[in-house]
Amino acid sequence: MNSLPAWLTDRRLSADIAPLLVQGDGASLERLAAEAQAITLRRFGRIVSLYAPLYLSNFCSSGCAYCGFASDRKTPRRRLEFDEIEKELAAMKAIGIGDVLLLTGERTGNAGFDYLRRAVDTAAKVMPRVAVEAFPMTVAEYRGLAESGCTGITIYQETYDPDNYRELHRWGPKRDFLERLETPERALQGGIRTVGIGALLGLSEPVGEALAVVRHVRHLCRTYWKAGISVSFPRIRPQDGGYQPSHPVDDRFLARMIFAFRIGMPDVDLVLSTRESPRFRDGMAGLGITRMSIASRTTVGGYHDPENAGTSQFEVSDNRSAQEFCSALRSKELEPVFKNWDPAYNGPICKEVAPCP
Amino acid sequence: MPEGSSVADLLELAGTGRQQVAVVLNEAIVRPENRATTLLKENDQVDVLVFAGGG
Amino acid sequence: MDSLKLGPYEFSSRLILGTGKFSSTRRMLDAIKASGTQLVTVALRRFNREQAEDDLLGPLSEMGGITLMPNTSGAATAKEAVRAAHISRELSGSPFVKVEIHPNPHHLMPDPIETWEACRILAGEGFLVMPYIPADPVLARRLEEVGCTSIMPLGSAIGSGQGLSTAGMLKIIIRESSIPVIVDAGLRAPSEACAAMEMGCEAVLVNSAVAVAGDPMAMASAFGEAVLAGRRAWHAGIMQKSGSAVATSPLTSFLGTD
Repeated sequence: MNSLPAWLTDRRLSADIAPLLVQGDGASLERLAAEAQAITLRRFGRIVSLYAPLYLSNFCSSGCAYCGFASDRKTPRRRLEFDEIEKELAAMKAIGIGDVLLLTGERTGNAGFDYLRRAVDTAAKVMPRVAVEAFPMTVAEYRGLAESGCTGITIYQETYDPDNYRELHRWGPKRDFLERLETPERALQGGIRTVGIGALLGLSEPVGEALAVVRHVRHLCRTYWKAGISVSFPRIRPQDGGYQPSHPVDDRFLARMIFAFRIGMPDVDLVLSTRESPRFRDGMAGLGITRMSIASRTTVGGYHDPENAGTSQFEVSDNRSAQEFCSALRSKELEPVFKNWDPAYNGPICKEVAPCP
Repeated sequence: MPEGSSVADLLELAGTGRQQVAVVLNEAIVRPENRATTLLKENDQVDVLVFAGGG
Repeated sequence: MDSLKLGPYEFSSRLILGTGKFSSTRRMLDAIKASGTQLVTVALRRFNREQAEDDLLGPLSEMGGITLMPNTSGAATAKEAVRAAHISRELSGSPFVKVEIHPNPHHLMPDPIETWEACRILAGEGFLVMPYIPADPVLARRLEEVGCTSIMPLGSAIGSGQGLSTAGMLKIIIRESSIPVIVDAGLRAPSEACAAMEMGCEAVLVNSAVAVAGDPMAMASAFGEAVLAGRRAWHAGIMQKSGSAVATSPLTSFLGTD
C-alpha cells in the first residue's frame, strides 16, 4: 500500500470530538470532566485495572529522535536472560501484579521474534495477562505470540503526521510510516485480542494528533468487530538525551483530550502510565482513565536488581509503590483491580467456524 | 386435467391470462419458455405464484 | 449526488416502501408515486383468479423507475426463504431479496438463526441480500460477514407503531457497520423516519404507517420529505446535547488554572 488510508483524513470519523478539543474556559473543562466521570461510572463502574511494564531489552536499531534507547545513544545495552525474566516476574507477582507488558526496542539480532516469543511463554506461565509492546511483526508472528499466550499488543504510531514522522525516525526499520500504521491490523488478523494505540504527545500539533487517534480507534472497531481497543496518552518527558518536544502538551489539554475521548468513545479503555505525576494520575482516575501502570521500572532489570539496572527509556514520575497507589485510588472510592481476566480465555481469536448443522 | 397436459395448459385453465406468474413444479422452477413443453404427471405438485402486497 | 448505494444500484430516494395493508391497489400505487420511492418490497402469494387485480408486478413495471425487492414473508425456515427468493428472482428479474423470516404469527419477530442461514446461502448465489433482523449488533456484523448488501434492523415490531424503541442498539449497529443500515418496521410517524436518518441510517422502510393512514398518498409524501430532511441534517452535523450537571466540588481543581 503506497497511499495513506482514507480513514486517516476522514473528518466524519472524528467530527463529534473536534469541538470538545477547543480550548475554552475552566467551566467548560469542569463540565467535560463531569460528563466523562458519569460515562466512566456507567460503563466501567469504579474499577481501575492495573498493569506493570517489564523491559526485556534496550537493544535498538532505530534512530528515534525522542527516545533514550535510540541506537546512537551511549546507554549500555543489555537484554534479560530467561532466568532473569523469571526473577523479575516473581518480584512483580510478589507485589500483586497480574498483568504484565513486555517491552523491547525495535527488532534486533539480540532481541528478535524468537526471544520475544520465548519471553511471552515464560510470562504466560505465571501471569494471567501478558501484553507486548515491541516491534511491528507479521500476521504469522502475531499468531505465534497469540498461541503462546499473548493477549494484547501495544504499538504507538508516535505521530500521525507522515512528514513529521519521517523527520523524527532518522534511520532503521521504524522509518516506514504505513507499515507502522497497519501494525494493529496485522496483530488483530493474527488473533491478538486487544490492541493499544496512541500518539506520543508533543511530537506534532496535538489537536490533529487527537483526531487521528480517534479515527484510528473507530476504523479498527468498525473493521475488527471482536477486537478490544485501548488508547494510551504517552507524553514526552525529559530523558537522558534531552529531546525537546516541538508541541508540548500541558496538563489541561491532556485532561481535555482524555475527557473528550471518554465522551466520544464510551467503552474504550483509556490508559495512563507512570510517566505522569501522582497528582495528575490521582486526579484523572475515574474521570475517564480506566487503566494505569503501577510501580513501574523502565530500566532493564529494574524490579529485582534496581541498583544495576542502567538508564531508562523515560523518567518515571510516579514512584509510589503498588500499595501506596492502591490506597490513593481507594480514597477516591475507586477499586484497583490486578486480575481482570482468567488465562483460560487467553487463546488466539479463532477464525469463524460454521455452526453445527 | 387430460393426460399429456403441459404447464402452459394448466395456466390457461387457471386463467392467468397475460399476468406474469411464477410456476414451481415439484420444487423446480419452470421458466416461461419451457412451460409449453413441460408435461404434467399424476401427483405432480404445482405452485403458481404472483407478487402481492406485503411489507 | 448523495445517493443510496446498494450493490451496483444507486437510488436518489432513501425511502423504501412496503406494499401490504393498503385498502386497494390503486391507493397503494398512488402512495408509491407520491413518496418518490424507487425501491418497493412485495410478497409472494399463490395466484388466485378471483383476486387478479391484486397482482402488483404489472402495475409496478408500468410505473417505471421502481426496482422490486421481493420479501420472503411467510417463510418460517431458511429453506423456505431460499425457495421464495429463487421464485421471486425468477418472477421479477431483480437481484434484491429482503430476507424476512418470522415464525411467530403474532409478534412477527424475525428468527436470527434461520435468517443467517438463508442469507449465507443467498449471498453466495449472488443475490443482493437485505435481511430483516432484531436490532442486534453482533447479528448485524455476522450478516455483514456472510455478504449481505445491507442490514435492516427493526425499530419496533411490525405494525406496532412503537417507533425507534431500539434506538440505543441502532446507534451501535450504525457505528460498527460498513454496509448501509436501513431501519425497517415499527415506524409510525414521519418524525421517526427523520430521527432514524439523523442517527445515521442510510434509508428507512415504511409500510403500515403509510398504508393505514387516513390519506396514504399525503402520508407517503410526508415520509419522503422527512427522510430527506433527516439526511440533510445528518450531513450538516447536528449540535451535541449539552453535558450533565456540574459536580458539587470541582473535579478539575488538580489541574490548576490556565
